[in-house]
Amino acid sequence: MIVFISGGVRSGKSGVAERIVRSLASPTSTIHYIATANVTDDEMRERVIRHQQARRLQPVEWVTWEQPRHVHELIGTFRTEDVLLLDCLTNWLANELFHAPGWENEAYCRQKAEHILATINQLSAVAKAVVIVSNELFSGGVLHDTGTYHFMKMLGWLHQQVVRAASSAIVVQHGIPIVKKGEGFM
Amino acid sequence: MHFVVGGAFQGKRKWVVEHYRLTEVAHVWCSGYTQAAVLPGEVHANMVVFEGLEAWIRRLPERAYWESFFQAWYEWERGADGRYVIWIGCDITQGIVPLEKEERQWRDVTGWCYQQLAKQCTRVDRIWCGLAERMK
Repeated sequence: MIVFISGGVRSGKSGVAERIVRSLASPTSTIHYIATANVTDDEMRERVIRHQQARRLQPVEWVTWEQPRHVHELIGTFRTEDVLLLDCLTNWLANELFHAPGWENEAYCRQKAEHILATINQLSAVAKAVVIVSNELFSGGVLHDTGTYHFMKMLGWLHQQVVRAASSAIVVQHGIPIVKKGEGFM
Repeated sequence: MHFVVGGAFQGKRKWVVEHYRLTEVAHVWCSGYTQAAVLPGEVHANMVVFEGLEAWIRRLPERAYWESFFQAWYEWERGADGRYVIWIGCDITQGIVPLEKEERQWRDVTGWCYQQLAKQCTRVDRIWCGLAERMK
C-alpha cells in the first residue's frame, strides 16, 4: 500500500506523515524512516536533528536509514508487517539526477525517474505500507534552465504515477491534511 | 466553455484528452507552446482546445487583448449548438514574484486572465497529480 503526502515548504508534511505511519503500524511492525536528505550544511543538520528529536519522543521504535540515493539497496531489510516513511521524494530525485553528469539529457532523467518508481513499487510490495512525502513546487512558473526543467518534469511525472498507484493522496497546508484520494487516516 | 488549470507537469493535457475522449472526437488543438492563437473564423470544428495560455500571454501581456479574445470565443460557442471551447492554463501565480518587470507583468496578466476565464466558463477544474478537482 502506498500513501502519498505532498505540501509546500514548512507546511507540516512530516508531522502528518508521522501520524499516518503510526496509525498504520501494528504492534509487530517496525517503523523505518528513510531519510533522503543529503546533509550538506548546518541548516539542514539542524532540521534533521529537530525531526529526529520529535521522533524520539514518540512511543514507537523508529529505525532511521540515511539513504540519499540507491534506496533499492534497503529492500531486503524490510518485513511484511513493517511500515516505511520515505522523506522525501523531492530530495531523492534531485540526488539521483544531479549526482553525476547526464541530467542535460531528458532520456537519462526519465530512466532515473522510472527506476525510482520501480523502487517505490517494490517497497510497497515487501512492506505493509510505504508513506511517501514530497513537495508542491509546480505552481510558480516553470524555470527554463535545463536542470531545473528536467527535475520539475520528472518530479511531476513521478507524482502522477505515485498518486495513481497510491491508495491515499493527501496535500498538507498549514499542518492541515486535505485528502485528495482515498482515506485520510485521521 | 471549460477552464482546466493546475501546476506544471500535473497531467492537465492528458486529463482533457481522456475526459473529452479526444482520440475519437473531432477537435482543433491549438497550443501556445508551438503556434499562434487561432481566431473563431479560422477553425472548422465544433470543439476547440487551447493549451499553454500562459505562453501566449507571455508573448503579449495585455489584458484588453485577451479579454476580447476570450469574449470572441465565448460568442462563437454560443453561436451554434454543439460547440465547445476548452482552455488549459498552467498556474504560474503561486511562486515568488520575480524582480524583473516583464516577469511580474506576465504573472499579473496571467492571473487576471485566469480569473476572467473562471468567470466566463461554466466549468472549472484544477488538476493535481492527474486528479481533477471541480471548482465550478
